[in-house]
Amino acid sequence: MKNKAADHRRKFLKSSIYAGVSAIAGTSLIQGCNTGASNAGEKVKLLTTDGTLVEVNQSNLTKMSHQPVSPDEARKGIPGRHFVMVVDLSRCRNARKCIKACDHHHQLTPDRPFIKVLRMQDNKASSPYWMPKKCFHCDNPPCVKVCPVGATYKRSDALVLIDNKRCIGCRFCMAACPYSARVFNWGKPKPQKTDHSYSPETSVPSQIGTVEKCDFCPDMLRQDKVPHCITACPNGALYFGDQIADSVTNGSETVRLSTLLRDKAAYRYHEELGTEPNVYYLPPSDRLFPFKEAPEGQPS
Amino acid sequence: MKSVIKHILIISLVATITTDNIFAQKKKTARVQVGYFKNYDKAEHLVATLIVKEKRYVPLSNGVIHFYSVSDTSRVLLSKIHTDNDGKAVFIINDDNPKIIKGPSGVFTFEVEYEGNSSVNAAKRKIAIKRGDLEVSFFQKDSTKSIEVSATEIGLNDQIIPIEGVNILLYVQGTFSLLNFGKEKTDENGIIHIDFPTDMPGDTTGVLTIVAKIDDNKTFGTIESRGEMNWGIPIEPVKEKQRGLGDTDAPLWMVYTLIILLSAVWFHYLYVIFLIVKIKLVNGSI
Amino acid sequence: MVKEKLFLNDQFNQKVEKDLLAHLLPHKKVGNIFIFILLAIILVGIYAYYRQLRYGLIVTSMRDYTSWGVYISNFVFLVAISLVGSLFSSILKLSKATWSTPLTRISEIIAIAAIICASVIIIVDMGRPDRFINVLIHGRIQSPIIWDVIIITTYLTISVLLLYISLIPDLAICRDKLTDAPRWKKWFYKVFSINWHGTPEQNNILHKVSFMLSVMVIPVAFAIHTVTSWLFSTTWRPGWDSTNLGPYFVSGALMAGAAVIIGAMYFIRNALNLKDYLTDKLFDHMGKLLVLLSLVYLYFNINEYLGPAFKMVGVEGEHIIELFFGKYASMYWLVQVFGLVLPIVVLVFAWGRKPLPMLIISILVLLGAWFKRFLIVIPSLQHPYLPIQDVDESYRHYIPSWEEWAITFASFAGCLLIITFLVKLLPVIPIWETKKEEGGEPKQLEV
Repeated sequence: MKNKAADHRRKFLKSSIYAGVSAIAGTSLIQGCNTGASNAGEKVKLLTTDGTLVEVNQSNLTKMSHQPVSPDEARKGIPGRHFVMVVDLSRCRNARKCIKACDHHHQLTPDRPFIKVLRMQDNKASSPYWMPKKCFHCDNPPCVKVCPVGATYKRSDALVLIDNKRCIGCRFCMAACPYSARVFNWGKPKPQKTDHSYSPETSVPSQIGTVEKCDFCPDMLRQDKVPHCITACPNGALYFGDQIADSVTNGSETVRLSTLLRDKAAYRYHEELGTEPNVYYLPPSDRLFPFKEAPEGQPS
Repeated sequence: MKSVIKHILIISLVATITTDNIFAQKKKTARVQVGYFKNYDKAEHLVATLIVKEKRYVPLSNGVIHFYSVSDTSRVLLSKIHTDNDGKAVFIINDDNPKIIKGPSGVFTFEVEYEGNSSVNAAKRKIAIKRGDLEVSFFQKDSTKSIEVSATEIGLNDQIIPIEGVNILLYVQGTFSLLNFGKEKTDENGIIHIDFPTDMPGDTTGVLTIVAKIDDNKTFGTIESRGEMNWGIPIEPVKEKQRGLGDTDAPLWMVYTLIILLSAVWFHYLYVIFLIVKIKLVNGSI
Repeated sequence: MVKEKLFLNDQFNQKVEKDLLAHLLPHKKVGNIFIFILLAIILVGIYAYYRQLRYGLIVTSMRDYTSWGVYISNFVFLVAISLVGSLFSSILKLSKATWSTPLTRISEIIAIAAIICASVIIIVDMGRPDRFINVLIHGRIQSPIIWDVIIITTYLTISVLLLYISLIPDLAICRDKLTDAPRWKKWFYKVFSINWHGTPEQNNILHKVSFMLSVMVIPVAFAIHTVTSWLFSTTWRPGWDSTNLGPYFVSGALMAGAAVIIGAMYFIRNALNLKDYLTDKLFDHMGKLLVLLSLVYLYFNINEYLGPAFKMVGVEGEHIIELFFGKYASMYWLVQVFGLVLPIVVLVFAWGRKPLPMLIISILVLLGAWFKRFLIVIPSLQHPYLPIQDVDESYRHYIPSWEEWAITFASFAGCLLIITFLVKLLPVIPIWETKKEEGGEPKQLEV
């Protein structure tokens, strides 16, 4: 009997569900079972990541695949959240793992990355430092203000996303963004592999003549997982979290956002522009690594 | 002389190729790790993680993990489970599972084994655990909010014994992870007391989830218990659907201004067209 | 005595009609060659646009950072040119500068041609022109682009109305006098002269409408170019972050418009043999007007650059250095010297206000105006707040591709083609107003 249950579980794992063994997907699974109760079949025990053991009807398992939300649904934020990122400049050594993970996940080509690691030097006397730069998901976003068709929009959970099925390609947002966070599909994007229909939450597939940018991986956030760049960073330089819950994590440690920002004297780039970014930077003091110039051949 | 060099070159080339082949056929090293987890709803399970050495260790998916219950004398197969994309296989421990053997002084010993295949070596690992439990209670005196956690274990004859000197960590459940706010060792009664911070944000009604944990303990594995309390600072509910420059709908003053300006101009255009028609009609009346 | 004057008036008026209608009759192969060349240029532009539609905006030299290029700067240029309509049919008319009357029609024609080409160019700049309908479905009135769409439509409409209102009596003359014109032309004149017979009542209505439109076109024209300037000043870019941008754009537009009129005057006067109407005296007037407008534009130029150049704030300072001493310096100083200072110097002398020198100056001014808009759009984009790094070397420069040039030239050719077509269809100098003014007291047209 035990083995049989395990077998079912295995089938379950094989179906694309496993990613859905999160609190949210788990709940919807149960709901799906309740409605399909007449669909008699064997019961399977599942374990969700928050530790709840649920018993579901096996015949319902394959039905749920991990589809990202529709463009309309993607206009609403995840309720009760306000996502923020904190970048600890003292820990970045230009390892570029975040770029790699991001490029991989969003199937980007190197000519239009969502993340750039900039070599910054505030003045001649101070040492240069590396600055990982994504979209700042501003609370007063210039790009959203100027968009003529609402293709780029601000959600209640602080994310600024782009609906590339609505974008008309005027590039006003690119001109407006003071942080040069946006990239444009000037030509036909390389073919991208995906089983899913387009969602602004995945940014895949890209479309010719439309604009793109870092999206904070909302498909991951829906599963209560942090964006790919956060876990990819080998030095824990990137923190991600929820301002409302006042906690951020870099994958290994979780700290209170307010404490971190206060104690490390966090700042935001070009505060004077009034854009209210949701990406904070911790000053590059007491560095984990001495500054080293980028190797030859790396674009800079 | 030249031909000698040539020969040497060829020989070394062949040698290189052969050694390469030998290395290519060498099996990869696998490792299997196992942990015992008891969740807040008392569900117990073993998680085996299968990793394989490439450049560094990476998870191996779809490998078959055998779970055994082990005593000094016997080894009983409990289940075979495939690993997922993260290299993890989960075995759920049922209280009434007759195959699970209880060892002396309440110790359970499990073994996980990966049998390997043509390119990956086999690996196995044992784990011995005692089944413990955590009980969380909340107290509030004036403005001081405190948490009491008691840790117990189940003895050989199912009697309950307090665990002394074990580290208990306290967390608030965050969106992506647990936020730690305290850590203490249990006293001789297996109990700790920790004050709850006064400035922790909750949800809109101030409710938050407090988690007590024995984390990755050698004897007890990971045991978790949790409770919900309205000890947090209530947060403002997020307002949706506003009007503004950055929102879908324009601010009303802008809508009105535009309507007034445009209607003023376009009304005149219509009037002009009306007058043009009138020019035509005026003449017709002559 | 009165009878004699009437006779002289009649004689004069007959000559006016004959001269000013002459160019509407089919003749001269030269015009056809000109049209053929324009069509050829437009065809090349269409092919370039076909390539752009097929391969995407990758065929242009625009990339991230320099995300707007000559399409946008050319758009600004064409919008600027279109402002000339309001200058002549409104500002000069309302200020009773009667010398400008012969130029109203051509200025209105140029305005319409320029605004049509500007709208085409802005669609060419879109990455997804197939989704233009989204502007109507999902339009957000908070976006300056929507303001621009609205104001372009509004200005195009008022320009057409302005042109048409002042045309009605002339169309009636065409209807009555051009009996041997092609049939479609005769049909056109008949339908669009809407039974105009110059009765007192009709005249009253015409004057009323004409006055109303003349007043209205000023705010609308100022709005179209101010809104165009807001496309830039509402962004978070150091080089565009200026409250001066609105009047700076409007004054530059009026100056470029005057230059366009001078050029048009020169060619029309020679091609259509209208030396008696587009007189040297008129050139003299236009020269003085251009000096005035250039001085105003010079003022706003100084105002635009002095503050930032004095302070040299961060990226704004880098932008200024790039313009004054960097890779755009030669273009910048050529534009400022030959497109702005030199015209002022030359045109203050009477010899400078003769037709040929004026033509040369107007060409310099127009070239300057076009490149000035290039200098406003592109260098600012190349100086963002955060440094340009981690990109291909080509992202740091911008030299328009042949497709961009082809489309740009096609837009000029299209503009000229529309003008040529309208000049062949409509009396290029208002006949009824010429008659009235040159002939003594106001006259009604005979039936």
